[in-house]
Amino acid sequence: MTFKRAVTQTPNLGTAWQPGLQALRAEDKPHIKVEDPREEHLRGSADIDTALQPHEPQANRWDFAVGYQHTNRRNEVIYWIETHTGSDNQIKVVLKKLAWLQTWMRRDGKQLANFERDIVWVSSGHTLFTKGSKQVKELAQKGLIYSGAILRILNDRRS
Amino acid sequence: MATLHIKRLGQIKEASLVFGDLTVLVGPQATGKSIALQLLKLVVDAGQVQAELGRHGLDWSGKLPDFLDVYFGEGMRSIWQPHETSIRWDGQAVDLLQLAARRRKSKEESLFFIPAQRVLALRDGWPRPFTDYTPGDPFAVREFSEKLRVLVEQEFGASGDLFPQERRLKREFRGLLQEHVFANFHLKVDKFHSQKRLVLGVEKGAESLPYMVWSAGQREFVPLLLGFYWLMPATKVSRRGEINWVVLEELEMGLHPRAISVVVLLVLELVMRGYRVCLSTHSPQVLDALWALKHLRETQAQPEAFLNIFEAPNTPSMRKLAGSVMEKSVKVIYFNREDGTTTDISELDPSAASQAEAGWGGLSDFSSRANEAVARAVANSNKENQS
Repeated sequence: MTFKRAVTQTPNLGTAWQPGLQALRAEDKPHIKVEDPREEHLRGSADIDTALQPHEPQANRWDFAVGYQHTNRRNEVIYWIETHTGSDNQIKVVLKKLAWLQTWMRRDGKQLANFERDIVWVSSGHTLFTKGSKQVKELAQKGLIYSGAILRILNDRRS
Repeated sequence: MATLHIKRLGQIKEASLVFGDLTVLVGPQATGKSIALQLLKLVVDAGQVQAELGRHGLDWSGKLPDFLDVYFGEGMRSIWQPHETSIRWDGQAVDLLQLAARRRKSKEESLFFIPAQRVLALRDGWPRPFTDYTPGDPFAVREFSEKLRVLVEQEFGASGDLFPQERRLKREFRGLLQEHVFANFHLKVDKFHSQKRLVLGVEKGAESLPYMVWSAGQREFVPLLLGFYWLMPATKVSRRGEINWVVLEELEMGLHPRAISVVVLLVLELVMRGYRVCLSTHSPQVLDALWALKHLRETQAQPEAFLNIFEAPNTPSMRKLAGSVMEKSVKVIYFNREDGTTTDISELDPSAASQAEAGWGGLSDFSSRANEAVARAVANSNKENQS
Protein backbone atom coordinates (compact mmCIF):
# COMPACT_ATOMS: atom_id res chain seq x y z
CA MET A 1 0.00 0.00 0.00
CA THR A 2 1.32 3.43 -0.98
CA PHE A 3 0.54 6.74 0.66
CA LYS A 4 -1.29 7.86 -2.48
CA ARG A 5 -3.47 4.75 -2.56
CA ALA A 6 -4.24 4.92 1.13
CA VAL A 7 -5.40 8.53 0.74
CA THR A 8 -7.64 7.74 -2.20
CA GLN A 9 -9.21 4.80 -0.34
CA THR A 10 -9.92 6.85 2.80
CA PRO A 11 -13.52 8.06 3.19
CA ASN A 12 -13.96 11.70 2.11
CA LEU A 13 -10.29 12.12 1.12
CA GLY A 14 -10.77 10.68 -2.37
CA THR A 15 -9.28 13.57 -4.34
CA ALA A 16 -7.16 15.13 -1.60
CA TRP A 17 -3.88 13.57 -2.72
CA GLN A 18 -1.60 15.92 -4.71
CA PRO A 19 1.91 15.36 -6.04
CA GLY A 20 4.82 16.92 -4.18
CA LEU A 21 3.77 19.52 -1.65
CA GLN A 22 0.99 20.84 -3.87
CA ALA A 23 -1.73 20.10 -1.32
CA LEU A 24 -0.18 22.60 1.08
CA ARG A 25 -1.32 26.21 1.27
CA ALA A 26 1.20 28.63 -0.16
CA GLU A 27 1.93 30.08 3.28
CA ASP A 28 2.68 26.64 4.71
CA LYS A 29 5.13 25.46 2.06
CA PRO A 30 8.14 27.48 3.32
CA HIS A 31 7.86 25.64 6.65
CA ILE A 32 8.54 22.23 5.11
CA LYS A 33 12.01 21.41 3.75
CA VAL A 34 12.50 18.03 2.13
CA GLU A 35 15.95 16.79 1.21
CA ASP A 36 14.83 15.29 -2.08
CA PRO A 37 11.63 16.63 -3.69
CA ARG A 38 11.67 14.04 -6.48
CA GLU A 39 8.76 11.63 -6.61
CA GLU A 40 10.88 8.64 -5.61
CA HIS A 41 11.20 10.27 -2.16
CA LEU A 42 8.46 12.87 -1.82
CA ARG A 43 5.36 10.75 -2.34
CA GLY A 44 2.76 13.49 -2.29
CA SER A 45 0.61 15.40 0.17
CA ALA A 46 -3.02 15.65 1.26
CA ASP A 47 -4.95 18.61 2.67
CA ILE A 48 -6.93 16.83 5.36
CA ASP A 49 -8.44 20.01 6.80
CA THR A 50 -10.01 21.22 3.55
CA ALA A 51 -11.15 17.77 2.39
CA LEU A 52 -13.00 17.02 5.62
CA GLN A 53 -14.36 20.51 6.22
CA PRO A 54 -17.76 19.80 4.57
CA HIS A 55 -18.12 16.55 6.53
CA GLU A 56 -16.91 17.67 9.95
CA PRO A 57 -17.26 21.47 9.92
CA GLN A 58 -17.14 21.87 13.72
CA ALA A 59 -14.26 19.50 14.34
CA ASN A 60 -10.71 20.56 15.28
CA ARG A 61 -9.34 19.05 12.11
CA TRP A 62 -5.61 18.37 11.51
CA ASP A 63 -4.00 20.32 8.66
CA PHE A 64 -2.28 17.97 6.24
CA ALA A 65 -0.20 14.87 5.63
CA VAL A 66 2.97 14.36 3.60
CA GLY A 67 4.26 10.96 2.44
CA TYR A 68 8.02 10.40 2.21
CA GLN A 69 10.10 7.40 1.17
CA HIS A 70 13.29 7.38 3.25
CA THR A 71 16.39 5.54 2.09
CA ASN A 72 16.53 3.53 5.33
CA ARG A 73 12.86 2.46 5.40
CA ARG A 74 11.09 -0.22 3.37
CA ASN A 75 7.76 1.62 3.47
CA GLU A 76 6.73 5.23 3.20
CA VAL A 77 6.49 7.33 6.33
CA ILE A 78 3.63 9.79 6.84
CA TYR A 79 4.26 13.20 8.38
CA TRP A 80 1.08 14.53 9.94
CA ILE A 81 1.65 18.27 10.03
CA GLU A 82 -0.19 21.06 11.79
CA THR A 83 1.02 24.60 11.16
CA HIS A 84 0.02 26.73 14.10
CA THR A 85 1.33 29.63 16.15
CA GLY A 86 3.93 28.39 18.59
CA SER A 87 2.81 29.81 21.89
CA ASP A 88 1.61 28.59 25.27
CA ASN A 89 -2.01 29.58 24.78
CA GLN A 90 -2.26 27.47 21.62
CA ILE A 91 -1.27 24.20 23.29
CA LYS A 92 -4.86 23.32 24.20
CA VAL A 93 -6.05 24.00 20.64
CA VAL A 94 -3.36 21.82 19.10
CA LEU A 95 -3.95 19.04 21.63
CA LYS A 96 -7.66 19.08 20.66
CA LYS A 97 -6.60 18.68 17.05
CA LEU A 98 -4.30 15.82 18.03
CA ALA A 99 -7.16 14.10 19.85
CA TRP A 100 -9.32 14.54 16.76
CA LEU A 101 -6.59 13.08 14.53
CA GLN A 102 -6.16 10.04 16.75
CA THR A 103 -9.91 9.40 16.82
CA TRP A 104 -10.18 9.91 13.07
CA MET A 105 -7.34 7.47 12.44
CA ARG A 106 -9.19 4.82 14.44
CA ARG A 107 -12.42 5.52 12.57
CA ASP A 108 -11.92 6.61 8.95
CA GLY A 109 -8.15 6.86 8.60
CA LYS A 110 -7.31 3.23 9.37
CA GLN A 111 -5.36 2.67 6.19
CA LEU A 112 -3.23 5.73 6.80
CA ALA A 113 -2.77 4.79 10.45
CA ASN A 114 -0.91 1.67 9.38
CA PHE A 115 2.05 3.74 8.15
CA GLU A 116 4.98 4.70 10.34
CA ARG A 117 4.40 8.31 11.29
CA ASP A 118 5.54 11.54 12.87
CA ILE A 119 2.91 13.93 14.18
CA VAL A 120 4.40 17.39 13.98
CA TRP A 121 3.43 20.87 15.13
CA VAL A 122 5.20 23.39 12.93
CA SER A 123 5.19 26.94 14.20
CA SER A 124 3.60 29.31 11.70
CA GLY A 125 4.83 32.46 13.41
CA HIS A 126 7.22 33.62 16.05
CA THR A 127 8.10 30.72 18.35
CA LEU A 128 7.67 31.24 22.03
CA PHE A 129 8.90 27.86 23.27
CA THR A 130 12.48 26.87 23.81
CA LYS A 131 13.39 23.45 22.48
CA GLY A 132 14.19 22.08 25.90
CA SER A 133 11.10 23.50 27.58
CA LYS A 134 8.71 21.59 29.79
CA GLN A 135 5.86 22.32 27.37
CA VAL A 136 7.70 20.67 24.47
CA LYS A 137 8.43 17.63 26.64
CA GLU A 138 4.76 17.37 27.62
CA LEU A 139 3.80 17.46 23.96
CA ALA A 140 6.38 14.74 23.22
CA GLN A 141 4.83 12.51 25.85
CA LYS A 142 1.55 12.82 23.95
CA GLY A 143 3.27 11.82 20.71
CA LEU A 144 3.63 15.30 19.25
CA ILE A 145 6.91 16.68 17.89
CA TYR A 146 7.28 20.44 18.11
CA SER A 147 9.62 21.30 15.26
CA GLY A 148 9.84 25.07 15.50
CA ALA A 149 9.24 26.98 12.28
CA ILE A 150 10.88 24.48 9.97
CA LEU A 151 10.28 20.77 9.56
CA ARG A 152 13.23 19.17 7.80
CA ILE A 153 12.60 15.78 6.23
CA LEU A 154 15.88 14.08 5.40
CA ASN A 155 16.41 11.00 3.22
CA ASP A 156 17.96 9.11 6.11
CA ARG A 157 15.38 8.95 8.89
CA ARG A 158 16.71 8.99 12.43
CA SER A 159 15.52 5.85 14.22
CA MET B 1 30.63 48.56 20.05
CA ALA B 2 34.06 47.03 20.62
CA THR B 3 35.08 44.43 18.05
CA LEU B 4 37.74 41.75 17.92
CA HIS B 5 38.51 40.13 14.61
CA ILE B 6 40.73 37.07 14.59
CA LYS B 7 42.11 35.15 11.63
CA ARG B 8 44.04 31.90 11.84
CA LEU B 9 44.76 31.59 15.53
CA GLY B 10 44.65 28.05 16.93
CA GLN B 11 41.37 26.39 15.97
CA ILE B 12 39.94 29.73 14.84
CA LYS B 13 39.95 30.27 11.10
CA GLU B 14 38.02 33.48 11.21
CA ALA B 15 36.14 34.94 14.17
CA SER B 16 34.34 38.21 14.40
CA LEU B 17 33.35 39.21 17.92
CA VAL B 18 31.15 42.26 18.38
CA PHE B 19 30.82 42.86 22.11
CA GLY B 20 27.68 43.98 23.90
CA ASP B 21 27.33 45.00 27.53
CA LEU B 22 27.06 41.26 28.06
CA THR B 23 28.63 38.89 25.54
CA VAL B 24 28.23 35.12 25.70
CA LEU B 25 30.37 32.66 23.74
CA VAL B 26 28.97 29.20 23.05
CA GLY B 27 30.19 26.26 21.01
CA PRO B 28 31.68 22.78 21.39
CA GLN B 29 34.90 22.07 23.23
CA ALA B 30 38.15 23.17 21.60
CA THR B 31 36.64 25.64 19.15
CA GLY B 32 38.72 28.60 20.34
CA LYS B 33 36.43 30.31 22.86
CA SER B 34 39.06 30.38 25.58
CA ILE B 35 41.80 31.47 23.17
CA ALA B 36 39.56 34.34 22.02
CA LEU B 37 38.88 35.43 25.61
CA GLN B 38 42.55 35.24 26.62
CA LEU B 39 43.43 37.19 23.50
CA LEU B 40 40.90 39.84 24.51
CA LYS B 41 42.72 40.16 27.84
CA LEU B 42 46.03 40.46 26.02
CA VAL B 43 44.94 43.17 23.57
CA VAL B 44 43.20 45.17 26.30
CA ASP B 45 45.88 44.77 28.98
CA ALA B 46 49.18 44.08 27.16
CA GLY B 47 51.21 46.37 29.44
CA GLN B 48 49.75 44.95 32.66
CA VAL B 49 50.28 41.36 31.44
CA GLN B 50 53.92 42.07 30.57
CA ALA B 51 54.50 43.86 33.87
CA GLU B 52 53.03 40.99 35.88
CA LEU B 53 55.04 38.37 34.02
CA GLY B 54 58.20 40.44 34.51
CA ARG B 55 57.47 41.03 38.19
CA HIS B 56 57.32 37.29 38.75
CA GLY B 57 60.60 36.62 36.95
CA LEU B 58 59.36 35.42 33.58
CA ASP B 59 61.49 36.39 30.59
CA TRP B 60 60.45 35.61 27.02
CA SER B 61 63.42 37.53 25.49
CA GLY B 62 61.13 39.47 23.20
CA LYS B 63 60.30 36.32 21.20
CA LEU B 64 56.68 35.72 20.31
CA PRO B 65 56.71 31.88 20.50
CA ASP B 66 58.15 32.03 24.02
CA PHE B 67 55.69 34.74 24.98
CA LEU B 68 52.75 32.63 23.73
CA ASP B 69 53.94 29.68 25.82
CA VAL B 70 54.22 31.89 28.88
CA TYR B 71 50.91 33.67 28.35
CA PHE B 72 48.54 31.02 26.94
CA GLY B 73 50.39 28.07 28.48
CA GLU B 74 52.97 25.49 27.51
CA GLY B 75 52.75 24.32 23.88
CA MET B 76 50.50 27.18 22.83
CA ARG B 77 53.21 28.71 20.62
CA SER B 78 51.69 26.57 17.88
CA ILE B 79 48.47 28.61 17.76
CA TRP B 80 50.24 31.44 15.96
CA GLN B 81 50.91 30.96 12.27
CA PRO B 82 53.55 33.25 10.72
CA HIS B 83 52.15 35.43 7.89
CA GLU B 84 48.65 34.01 8.42
CA THR B 85 47.52 35.00 11.89
CA SER B 86 45.97 38.43 12.00
CA ILE B 87 44.17 40.29 14.75
CA ARG B 88 42.18 43.51 14.66
CA TRP B 89 40.95 45.22 17.81
CA ASP B 90 38.35 47.92 17.17
CA GLY B 91 39.49 48.03 13.57
CA GLN B 92 43.18 48.52 14.43
CA ALA B 93 45.70 45.82 13.53
CA VAL B 94 47.40 44.19 16.53
CA ASP B 95 50.90 42.94 15.74
CA LEU B 96 51.66 40.10 18.12
CA LEU B 97 55.33 40.01 17.08
CA GLN B 98 55.70 43.63 18.06
CA LEU B 99 53.67 43.12 21.22
CA ALA B 100 56.03 40.39 22.39
CA ALA B 101 59.15 42.33 21.36
CA ARG B 102 58.44 45.61 23.10
CA ARG B 103 57.44 46.22 26.69
CA ARG B 104 54.45 48.53 27.06
CA LYS B 105 54.55 51.39 29.52
CA SER B 106 50.99 51.24 30.75
CA LYS B 107 50.54 48.88 33.68
CA GLU B 108 46.88 49.66 34.31
CA GLU B 109 44.58 46.67 34.37
CA SER B 110 41.19 47.06 32.74
CA LEU B 111 40.10 43.42 32.33
CA PHE B 112 39.60 40.94 35.17
CA PHE B 113 39.74 37.31 34.05
CA ILE B 114 38.06 34.45 35.93
CA PRO B 115 39.34 31.28 34.25
CA ALA B 116 37.58 27.95 33.86
CA GLN B 117 40.36 26.28 35.91
CA ARG B 118 39.56 28.49 38.92
CA VAL B 119 39.29 25.49 41.24
CA LEU B 120 43.09 25.26 40.99
CA ALA B 121 43.40 28.66 42.66
CA LEU B 122 42.95 27.13 46.10
CA ARG B 123 45.22 24.52 47.62
CA ASP B 124 44.37 23.12 51.01
CA GLY B 125 41.85 25.92 51.33
CA TRP B 126 44.16 28.88 50.69
CA PRO B 127 44.80 30.84 47.46
CA ARG B 128 48.04 29.97 45.71
CA PRO B 129 50.49 32.74 44.79
CA PHE B 130 51.48 33.37 41.18
CA THR B 131 54.84 31.68 41.65
CA ASP B 132 53.27 28.51 43.05
CA TYR B 133 52.46 27.44 39.48
CA THR B 134 54.86 26.14 36.84
CA PRO B 135 56.03 28.56 34.11
CA GLY B 136 53.97 26.50 31.65
CA ASP B 137 50.65 27.23 33.35
CA PRO B 138 48.41 29.82 31.67
CA PHE B 139 48.79 33.42 32.82
CA ALA B 140 45.03 33.77 33.34
CA VAL B 141 45.02 31.01 35.98
CA ARG B 142 48.14 32.26 37.79
CA GLU B 143 47.00 35.86 37.77
CA PHE B 144 43.51 35.03 39.06
CA SER B 145 45.00 32.94 41.83
CA GLU B 146 47.37 35.74 42.80
CA LYS B 147 44.48 38.21 42.94
CA LEU B 148 42.57 35.94 45.32
CA ARG B 149 45.66 35.62 47.52
CA VAL B 150 45.97 39.39 47.72
CA LEU B 151 42.25 39.78 48.39
CA VAL B 152 42.10 37.20 51.16
CA GLU B 153 45.36 38.32 52.81
CA GLN B 154 44.73 42.05 52.59
CA GLU B 155 40.97 42.33 52.94
CA PHE B 156 40.21 39.26 55.04
CA GLY B 157 43.53 38.89 56.84
CA ALA B 158 42.11 38.49 60.29
CA SER B 159 40.17 35.38 61.10
CA GLY B 160 36.49 35.82 60.56
CA ASP B 161 33.64 35.15 58.14
CA LEU B 162 34.17 35.66 54.41
CA PHE B 163 30.60 34.65 53.78
CA PRO B 164 28.10 35.91 54.66
CA GLN B 165 29.51 39.39 55.15
CA GLU B 166 27.38 42.46 55.79
CA ARG B 167 29.28 44.71 53.40
CA ARG B 168 29.82 42.19 50.64
CA LEU B 169 27.08 41.53 48.08
CA LYS B 170 23.45 42.57 48.35
CA ARG B 171 21.42 41.05 51.16
CA GLU B 172 19.27 39.26 48.57
CA PHE B 173 22.33 37.61 46.98
CA ARG B 174 23.57 36.53 50.37
CA GLY B 175 20.23 34.87 51.05
CA LEU B 176 20.18 33.10 47.70
CA LEU B 177 23.77 31.89 48.05
CA GLN B 178 23.12 30.74 51.59
CA GLU B 179 20.18 28.69 50.34
CA HIS B 180 21.53 27.32 47.07
CA VAL B 181 25.30 27.03 47.55
CA PHE B 182 26.37 27.12 51.18
CA ALA B 183 23.37 25.42 52.79
CA ASN B 184 23.65 27.64 55.89
CA PHE B 185 27.39 27.06 56.28
CA HIS B 186 29.65 30.07 56.77
CA LEU B 187 32.88 30.49 54.85
CA LYS B 188 35.57 31.62 57.24
CA VAL B 189 39.27 31.81 57.89
CA ASP B 190 40.66 29.60 60.61
CA LYS B 191 44.06 28.22 61.55
CA PHE B 192 45.33 24.67 61.50
CA HIS B 193 48.75 24.30 63.16
CA SER B 194 49.30 28.04 62.61
CA GLN B 195 48.42 27.76 58.92
CA LYS B 196 45.52 29.93 57.82
CA ARG B 197 42.92 28.25 55.68
CA LEU B 198 39.35 28.72 54.46
CA VAL B 199 36.83 26.41 56.04
CA LEU B 200 33.07 25.97 56.09
CA GLY B 201 31.49 26.05 59.50
CA VAL B 202 28.05 26.34 61.01
CA GLU B 203 28.61 28.46 64.06
CA LYS B 204 31.30 29.45 66.52
CA GLY B 205 32.65 26.56 68.47
CA ALA B 206 31.26 23.90 66.12
CA GLU B 207 33.51 21.69 64.00
CA SER B 208 34.63 23.25 60.71
CA LEU B 209 34.83 21.51 57.37
CA PRO B 210 38.21 21.84 55.64
CA TYR B 211 38.56 22.33 51.90
CA MET B 212 38.91 18.65 51.00
CA VAL B 213 35.49 17.75 52.37
CA TRP B 214 33.61 20.55 50.68
CA SER B 215 31.25 19.52 47.90
CA ALA B 216 32.59 19.80 44.35
CA GLY B 217 30.24 22.71 43.75
CA GLN B 218 31.47 24.55 46.83
CA ARG B 219 35.10 24.06 45.78
CA GLU B 220 34.23 25.48 42.38
CA PHE B 221 32.14 28.30 43.77
CA VAL B 222 34.41 29.74 46.46
CA PRO B 223 37.07 31.02 44.02
CA LEU B 224 34.23 32.48 41.95
CA LEU B 225 32.76 34.16 45.03
CA LEU B 226 36.15 35.69 45.80
CA GLY B 227 36.29 36.89 42.20
CA PHE B 228 32.94 38.63 42.70
CA TYR B 229 34.28 40.15 45.93
CA TRP B 230 37.25 41.50 43.97
CA LEU B 231 34.93 43.11 41.44
CA MET B 232 32.43 44.45 43.99
CA PRO B 233 34.52 46.15 46.68
CA ALA B 234 33.11 46.69 50.15
CA THR B 235 33.39 50.45 49.65
CA LYS B 236 30.73 52.63 48.07
CA VAL B 237 32.40 52.57 44.64
CA SER B 238 30.61 50.27 42.26
CA ARG B 239 33.72 48.97 40.49
CA ARG B 240 37.31 48.18 41.39
CA GLY B 241 40.09 50.42 40.13
CA GLU B 242 40.24 50.91 36.40
CA ILE B 243 38.59 47.61 35.57
CA ASN B 244 36.01 47.90 32.79
CA TRP B 245 35.91 44.36 31.49
CA VAL B 246 35.20 41.03 33.13
CA VAL B 247 35.73 37.63 31.53
CA LEU B 248 34.12 34.66 33.24
CA GLU B 249 34.69 31.25 31.72
CA GLU B 250 32.08 28.52 32.17
CA LEU B 251 30.18 30.03 35.08
CA GLU B 252 28.21 26.81 35.52
CA MET B 253 31.17 24.61 36.56
CA GLY B 254 30.11 22.11 39.21
CA LEU B 255 26.91 23.96 40.09
CA HIS B 256 23.30 22.83 40.39
CA PRO B 257 20.87 24.82 38.17
CA ARG B 258 19.59 26.73 41.22
CA ALA B 259 23.11 27.83 42.03
CA ILE B 260 23.69 28.68 38.36
CA SER B 261 20.67 30.99 38.58
CA VAL B 262 22.29 32.89 41.43
CA VAL B 263 25.58 33.17 39.54
CA VAL B 264 23.74 34.52 36.49
CA LEU B 265 22.14 37.16 38.72
CA LEU B 266 25.56 38.07 40.11
CA VAL B 267 26.86 38.41 36.57
CA LEU B 268 23.94 40.72 35.78
CA GLU B 269 24.85 42.74 38.87
CA LEU B 270 28.29 43.24 37.31
CA VAL B 271 26.62 44.38 34.10
CA MET B 272 24.44 46.81 36.04
CA ARG B 273 27.55 48.23 37.70
CA GLY B 274 28.87 49.11 34.27
CA TYR B 275 31.33 46.27 33.68
CA ARG B 276 31.39 44.83 30.19
CA VAL B 277 31.07 41.14 30.85
CA CYS B 278 32.09 38.28 28.54
CA LEU B 279 31.10 34.72 29.40
CA SER B 280 31.69 31.37 27.86
CA THR B 281 29.16 28.69 28.71
CA HIS B 282 27.91 25.19 27.97
CA SER B 283 24.76 25.77 30.00
CA PRO B 284 21.43 26.07 28.13
CA GLN B 285 20.13 27.73 31.30
CA VAL B 286 22.24 30.81 30.63
CA LEU B 287 20.75 31.12 27.15
CA ASP B 288 17.26 30.47 28.54
CA ALA B 289 17.75 33.52 30.75
CA LEU B 290 18.99 35.68 27.85
CA TRP B 291 16.18 34.47 25.59
CA ALA B 292 13.66 35.45 28.27
CA LEU B 293 15.41 38.77 28.82
CA LYS B 294 15.14 39.57 25.12
CA HIS B 295 11.42 38.81 24.94
CA LEU B 296 10.61 40.57 28.19
CA ARG B 297 12.45 43.63 26.90
CA GLU B 298 10.55 43.50 23.59
CA THR B 299 7.22 43.24 25.34
CA GLN B 300 8.17 45.93 27.87
CA ALA B 301 7.41 43.55 30.69
CA GLN B 302 7.83 44.58 34.32
CA PRO B 303 11.19 43.76 35.94
CA GLU B 304 9.36 41.40 38.32
CA ALA B 305 8.75 39.03 35.40
CA PHE B 306 12.48 38.64 34.96
CA LEU B 307 13.09 38.12 38.67
CA ASN B 308 10.45 35.38 38.72
CA ILE B 309 12.59 33.30 36.36
CA PHE B 310 15.30 33.21 39.01
CA GLU B 311 12.93 32.90 41.96
CA ALA B 312 14.71 36.00 43.21
CA PRO B 313 13.24 38.22 45.93
CA ASN B 314 11.00 40.95 44.57
CA THR B 315 12.68 43.82 46.41
CA PRO B 316 13.34 47.38 45.20
CA SER B 317 17.04 46.61 44.85
CA MET B 318 16.44 43.48 42.75
CA ARG B 319 13.81 45.26 40.63
CA LYS B 320 16.40 47.95 39.97
CA LEU B 321 18.84 45.25 38.86
CA ALA B 322 16.29 43.62 36.54
CA GLY B 323 15.16 46.97 35.15
CA SER B 324 18.75 47.95 34.47
CA VAL B 325 19.78 44.78 32.65
CA MET B 326 16.65 44.91 30.51
CA GLU B 327 18.19 48.06 29.01
CA LYS B 328 21.58 46.47 28.27
CA SER B 329 22.81 45.04 25.00
CA VAL B 330 23.44 41.30 24.83
CA LYS B 331 25.44 39.41 22.22
CA VAL B 332 25.62 35.65 21.79
CA ILE B 333 28.35 34.28 19.55
CA TYR B 334 28.58 30.71 18.34
CA PHE B 335 31.97 29.10 17.65
CA ASN B 336 31.54 26.54 14.88
CA ARG B 337 33.83 23.53 14.94
CA GLU B 338 33.17 22.54 11.32
CA ASP B 339 34.58 25.62 9.64
CA GLY B 340 36.38 27.42 12.46
CA THR B 341 34.21 30.53 12.12
CA THR B 342 31.82 32.37 14.40
CA THR B 343 28.14 33.28 13.98
CA ASP B 344 26.15 35.93 15.81
CA ILE B 345 23.12 34.06 17.23
CA SER B 346 21.99 36.86 19.56
CA GLU B 347 18.37 36.59 18.38
CA LEU B 348 18.21 33.07 19.93
CA ASP B 349 15.16 32.42 17.79
CA PRO B 350 14.15 28.74 18.18
CA SER B 351 12.43 28.99 14.80
CA ALA B 352 15.38 30.50 12.94
CA ALA B 353 16.31 28.88 9.66
CA SER B 354 19.91 28.73 10.86
CA GLN B 355 20.49 25.52 12.82
CA ALA B 356 23.19 27.26 14.85
CA GLU B 357 20.71 29.83 16.09
CA ALA B 358 17.64 27.57 16.41
CA GLY B 359 19.68 24.97 18.33
CA TRP B 360 21.41 27.65 20.41
CA GLY B 361 24.84 26.65 19.24
CA GLY B 362 24.17 22.99 19.94
CA LEU B 363 23.04 23.55 23.54
CA SER B 364 19.45 22.48 22.88
CA ASP B 365 20.16 19.77 20.29
CA PHE B 366 20.21 16.90 22.74
CA SER B 367 16.94 17.99 24.28
CA SER B 368 15.37 18.26 20.81
CA ARG B 369 16.49 14.76 19.90
CA ALA B 370 15.18 13.38 23.19
CA ASN B 371 11.82 15.05 22.58
CA GLU B 372 11.68 13.72 19.04
CA ALA B 373 12.53 10.16 20.10
CA VAL B 374 9.82 10.15 22.78
CA ALA B 375 7.18 11.74 20.54
CA ARG B 376 7.93 9.31 17.75
CA ALA B 377 7.78 6.29 20.06
CA VAL B 378 4.47 7.44 21.57
CA ALA B 379 2.90 8.28 18.19
CA ASN B 380 3.78 4.88 16.75
CA SER B 381 3.06 2.81 19.84
CA ASN B 382 -0.66 3.61 19.46
CA LYS B 383 -0.71 2.37 15.89
CA GLU B 384 -2.06 -1.08 16.56
CA ASN B 385 -4.91 0.29 18.65
CA GLN B 386 -5.83 2.60 15.83
CA SER B 387 -5.68 0.11 12.98
